Amino acid sequence: MNAFLYFRPQSLDEVITLLVRYGREARLLAGGTDLLVQMRHDLIAPQVVIDLKRVAELRADVQLLDGALRIGALTVLSDLIEDARVQQYFPALVEAASVVGSVQIRNRATLSGNICNASPAADTAPALLIYDAQVNLIGPDGRRTVALRRFFLGPRKTVLQQGELVEAIDLPLPREASGAAFTRLTRRRGVDLATVNAACLARRSDGVLFAFGAVAPTPILVPVSDNRLLVTSLDAAIRRAILDEVAAHTSPISDVRASREYRLAMVKVMAKRALEVALQRLTAAEAQLSPVA
Amino acid sequence: MSASAENQGMAQWVGMSPERVGGRERVTGAQRYTGDIRLPGALHVKLAHLNCGHARILNVDASQALRLKGVVAVLTADDLPKPMPRFGPVYNDRPVIADDEVKYFGEPVAAVAAEDEDTALEAVKLLRIEYEELPGVYTIDEALRPGAPLVQHPSIRAADDPFRQSNILNEWCFGWGDVDQAQADMVIENVYRFPLVTHFPIENLAYQAAPEKDGVSVWSSIQHPYVLQRAIVTALNLPASKVRIIAPDPGGGFGGKGYPKYEPLLAFLALKTGRPVRLALTLEETFQAIRRAASQIRLRSGFTADGRLVFQDIEANYQLGAYADIGSRVVSKGSYVAAGPYHAPNVRIVGRAVLTHTTPSTAFRGFGIPQLSWALESQMDAAARQLGLDRLEIRLRNIPAKGETVIPGDKPVDGDWRMLLQRAANAIGWGQPLGKNHGRGLAIGMKNSASASASFAIARLLQDGSLLILSSTSDMGQGARTVFSQLAADELGIPLDRISIVMGDTALAPFDASTSASRSSVFMGNAIISACRQIKTQLRQMAAEAYDMAEDCIRLQEGKVICGERAVAYDRLIRDYYGAVRGEVIAVGTARGKYLPNHPLGGQAAFWEVAAVGCEVEVDEETGEITIHKLVTVTDIGKALNPRQAEAQDEGAAIMGLGHTLMEHLILDEAGRIQNLGALDYRIPTIKDIPLEMETILQENGDGPGPYGSKGAGESGILAVSPAVGSAIREAIGVTIHDLPLTPEKVWLALQEKRAGENSFARPLTDPKSYVE
Repeated sequence: MNAFLYFRPQSLDEVITLLVRYGREARLLAGGTDLLVQMRHDLIAPQVVIDLKRVAELRADVQLLDGALRIGALTVLSDLIEDARVQQYFPALVEAASVVGSVQIRNRATLSGNICNASPAADTAPALLIYDAQVNLIGPDGRRTVALRRFFLGPRKTVLQQGELVEAIDLPLPREASGAAFTRLTRRRGVDLATVNAACLARRSDGVLFAFGAVAPTPILVPVSDNRLLVTSLDAAIRRAILDEVAAHTSPISDVRASREYRLAMVKVMAKRALEVALQRLTAAEAQLSPVA
Repeated sequence: MSASAENQGMAQWVGMSPERVGGRERVTGAQRYTGDIRLPGALHVKLAHLNCGHARILNVDASQALRLKGVVAVLTADDLPKPMPRFGPVYNDRPVIADDEVKYFGEPVAAVAAEDEDTALEAVKLLRIEYEELPGVYTIDEALRPGAPLVQHPSIRAADDPFRQSNILNEWCFGWGDVDQAQADMVIENVYRFPLVTHFPIENLAYQAAPEKDGVSVWSSIQHPYVLQRAIVTALNLPASKVRIIAPDPGGGFGGKGYPKYEPLLAFLALKTGRPVRLALTLEETFQAIRRAASQIRLRSGFTADGRLVFQDIEANYQLGAYADIGSRVVSKGSYVAAGPYHAPNVRIVGRAVLTHTTPSTAFRGFGIPQLSWALESQMDAAARQLGLDRLEIRLRNIPAKGETVIPGDKPVDGDWRMLLQRAANAIGWGQPLGKNHGRGLAIGMKNSASASASFAIARLLQDGSLLILSSTSDMGQGARTVFSQLAADELGIPLDRISIVMGDTALAPFDASTSASRSSVFMGNAIISACRQIKTQLRQMAAEAYDMAEDCIRLQEGKVICGERAVAYDRLIRDYYGAVRGEVIAVGTARGKYLPNHPLGGQAAFWEVAAVGCEVEVDEETGEITIHKLVTVTDIGKALNPRQAEAQDEGAAIMGLGHTLMEHLILDEAGRIQNLGALDYRIPTIKDIPLEMETILQENGDGPGPYGSKGAGESGILAVSPAVGSAIREAIGVTIHDLPLTPEKVWLALQEKRAGENSFARPLTDPKSYVE
């Protein structure tokens, strides 16, 4: 690893000043689980590392706001997974966060870092996409909010401008009964990167939302307007046809993990499995909400 | 050479599972591995390699690197004697550093020694290496193509070597009967492939070297210190007495640490700089330094209508790398037993060691047999299907009984091998109803153990009656220190905590051929018992003299010398014999497999290492994922000296086998570069990938040549895992895959092909994607 300057600022102002000063030479350190691996493997060689862990304004918890849960930039995946409110409202996110790395990694890795790393295969991304996560950014020109579905530009590329960083991620609370699930395919059961991952959200008013990872340059969101997917007893052939259309939105490549053909086939399998669980959960959620006859 | 008779009655520790010697240090991180040792004033070394598999080196300009503060030396081929010193366990073909040509991705072109590791790394980046990329051969097929680029220049090969103008390093032919005349009712032919895989020990390879007054000391995480000593002696032209090898307990070896790699380079660097030097390879560099031979095995098998083998016609091509390492021995020793644990009246075996521009393949747990078992056992299944026979039954019909011949002219069958299979079948509920997409598989594997080889052990009964055993076995996690302590404790009646085993220093511990071939408990175990018994003889003689008694009135019992009514402690006897200044009692024990110059392998197998595997799997038809519900290994161990360690080793071997069965393979690109270099994309099984249930059955019939009738069992668990799993997949979903690993994608693809109605004989056998028979 090359030598680098290390800063541990106390305030966001200082962070932004450093980011503006060093530009592309600077990298932010929160959990470091992606940053250090990339540095050690010589994939990147930043001259400046800015440690965010002592920045007073950045939070490491989950707050309940009016109509949303706010996940601080320093909130680690292990804490996210254990939060009762996240478990209640965003089970697919819990499922996704639970398979990122190992326990040791999840104890250090932040949700914001997982997003900013902008890996096409990031497991939390599809789950955050179906829940319409909003990314709160702060930079030299102040604050702005970007929907996650507009956040990714390509592999390792985001809308973050020079001097900007993520302050928190907001998850709007569901306004109606919903069911969601996350599923993925890996080459082994232990710690692994996804060959394909998928999240699905089912609601009566808005239909079904799918999101996929590792099958396009960025994690992608695929809404389905055809409400027949919500019907559990839907004819298998019709469902297959709809899922074929869903899969057509993906553009997987062949690499050492899998061929394009296999990924394409697995998108459909993962979508079907996520949908099945999402529909079960939707039915259960509705049963809980409706008055006992 | 069995030591069972004399000590059967007095075992207090043998057969028990005391706490592992050194286990606590391993799991707490207290153990100091080779790379952890800090020699005062040591320089740190980094290697420079090229981004391709085959190239001609035109020039190495080190001027910029040498100007970097902290850089002490850059070593290239130009700094070494001419001709380039070469070494290797079978052929002296591996240069100390790339000589003129780079022959595999990762072969070092230059070595930088600097005051710290980061500086050395930075200096490597400052080297200006001019090179011309050359066409290479990266697969068996490419290497055997007429006109293929040659890996070894004919000039370094013997003038009368018939293969010197090809990439075939050796061809071995074995056989008996007459395959061409044999009359079979049914003949099947298939090609089976086994991938490139790497060992992935948790401890990466690490080396250190220091100049001595008139020689050199070398530290290495090596399994066979005396093989390394020979390499240093060869490469540096020093007497062995001036070459000291220090080999701290390795953190896993699996064969990958058996043979020297970059130790001679470090030794030259130490002599050049006059300072100690340290090189700790990264995981990626370790991948580039060690791997198993891939294979392509064509099997033509003839059977009678009732499932008896008539002939086996076997062509086994193994993919070696750029240098022979121990690869040619893997091929000769492996293909020698290619017909497996079966009685086949007519056998023809051609085994080829094929050189390619890849990492030199080396020993790897199983030593050529997992490749063969995959082919042979998959073929037995194919025959069973063709003949409508039960897969267990066809095997039982062909396995010879104890005492019968398995390979003409070699050791007869030394165990009840049918029983192994029967027990595996029973343990997985063979023949009972199965759930949807579930299947069961059975397989058996046989390996020839060490043949001609020697082990020496020194036992020193110290002045206070405690015991030192000096042995050059390496304890790389298998628990040799524990088993040796148990053997010595029972022989001499000395408590375990008063025994130390000194290993890993050629200045202290005597010669041992190797820690390999599952031989240590048998060979070194017998040598230690022999040394301890000689100590007992000496103690009786000493007591006779000291107490003026007849020697036959003196016996040893529970750590005391019993002289009539008196029970004398060892320290007391030493004092009474030598006087107040005291002395000690020393003995050397040896064990040897006899060298037979006319035997194809130099000697008969000391024992056959045989294990059966049974498993039940479930296949996810949509994704191709495999869940192993149960895996059972039944090992013919003779006697489990330490049952817990034996089980652990067997489980470890089976899980390692699941790696090459289900997920492991090094993927090379067109320039011979490893595409999945590192832990991210080279996947090995984790604890979450192991079977839902595992069972180890140790068959203890006391019929081995080792202490208490034991046989070695360090490799048995890995021998036949693949074909058992392949067999179970076939039963579960009806597809047969001939190429490992059985990744979800490959299983899925095979299912797609089956559904598409592509039937059995649609593809030529040479097609690498021939998944169906």
